[in-house]
Formats: sequence, structure tokens, C-alpha cells
Amino acid sequence: MIDLEAPRDPADGLAAVVALRRLADQLEDVEVARALGDGWTWSLVAEALGVTRQAVHKKHAKRLKARG
Amino acid sequence: MFERFTQDARAVVKAAEAQAAQLGSPTIEAEHLLLALADREAVIGVDREEVLKALEAERDRSLAAVGIAVPDFDLPPAAVTRPRFAASSKLALERALRAAVARSDRRLAGGHILLGVLAAEAGTVPRALALAGVDRDDLRARTQVALGG
Repeated sequence: MIDLEAPRDPADGLAAVVALRRLADQLEDVEVARALGDGWTWSLVAEALGVTRQAVHKKHAKRLKARG
Repeated sequence: MFERFTQDARAVVKAAEAQAAQLGSPTIEAEHLLLALADREAVIGVDREEVLKALEAERDRSLAAVGIAVPDFDLPPAAVTRPRFAASSKLALERALRAAVARSDRRLAGGHILLGVLAAEAGTVPRALALAGVDRDDLRARTQVALGG
């Protein structure tokens, strides 16, 4: 299990939040692309992420299309 | 907002967008303005590569603080279509305008953008600059001098 003991300095804690958000966004990009590549539908990807189909499509469709 | 920008300042903003796209960031952040400035402003004293290294070190340290090691992830940089301006870069540009007004400069140049970026007291940029060994106050003072007047 990841030890999620909060950093003592709020500056470190807030910087960790920023870095985690970026990491999560990067991971989402990779995993959505992989799922779609494996034949998942947008609806299924959305359900797995716990967001609406519109949200996931809006966030990723253009990017994935640009990449081909 | 951009009508008072010199060619020089516009080039910095454009270069920041290119930095964000190159690094796979969907947003243009204050650190991308810093990278663009470090690429050309000798006044900073550290080049783009050094700033980039400091930004990576800052991210690694921040993640380590919550028990996450970046080498655990093998993530390719995202393919970004067109990065958008985020709150941090908008604030830096607003502060650049305020710096120009405070100096009674009628036009906004790259140096003003650097002042705007350096005005941040918290967040990624000041943390990365500290790791790079850059004294923000000293750099601010030198930038004011370089802007002349």
C-alpha cells in the first residue's frame, strides 16, 4: 500500500497535489488510448472512469484523432 | 491584453506555447513562459536545459513527498493538439502588465514577462528556481536593470 502520510510543509503538500494531477492526466491519456485500441467503446471507457461519455469524448477524441 | 506587447514579448508567448506542446502539456503554465525566456534571456543565468532539469527535480520531489516514485511509470509525452493558457500563465502575464505599468513603460517586453513569472511566491516556478539555485530577488533586480529606465 502506498504510504500517504501528508507532507508536513503545506508547500510540499500542495506541490504534490499539482504533480499528482499531472501524473493522473498523463496516465489517463495513455489508458484511454489503450482501452480504445483494445476495442472498448467510448461509453465503456466513460463508465470505467466514472465520468460521462461526453466528458471523456470531449477530452480525448480530438487528441487521439490528431495522433491517428 | 496583447495589444501593448512588443514583438519580443509576443515571441516569448508563442515560444511558451511551443514549449508546452513539446513537453506534452495540454496547458501553457508559468513554467513554460520561464522555459521560453530561459531559451533566450541571458539575464536569467540558467539555460533552458537547466530549468527543465529543475522542473523535473521539483516534480520528483513533490511526488516523493507522498510516496510515489516517477520511474514506476513509463509514460510517453501526450500528443497535444493546441495547449490552452492556464491560470498560472495568465496570472504571470497580468503581473507582467502590472510590472510595466509600475515602471511607467508603455510597451511590454520579454523582461516584463520574466518579472511577471518571478512574482509568483508559491508553486512550481519558485520551487524549481530554488532547486536550480536561482535567487529570485536578485534575478528580479537584475531584470529591472536590464529593462533600463
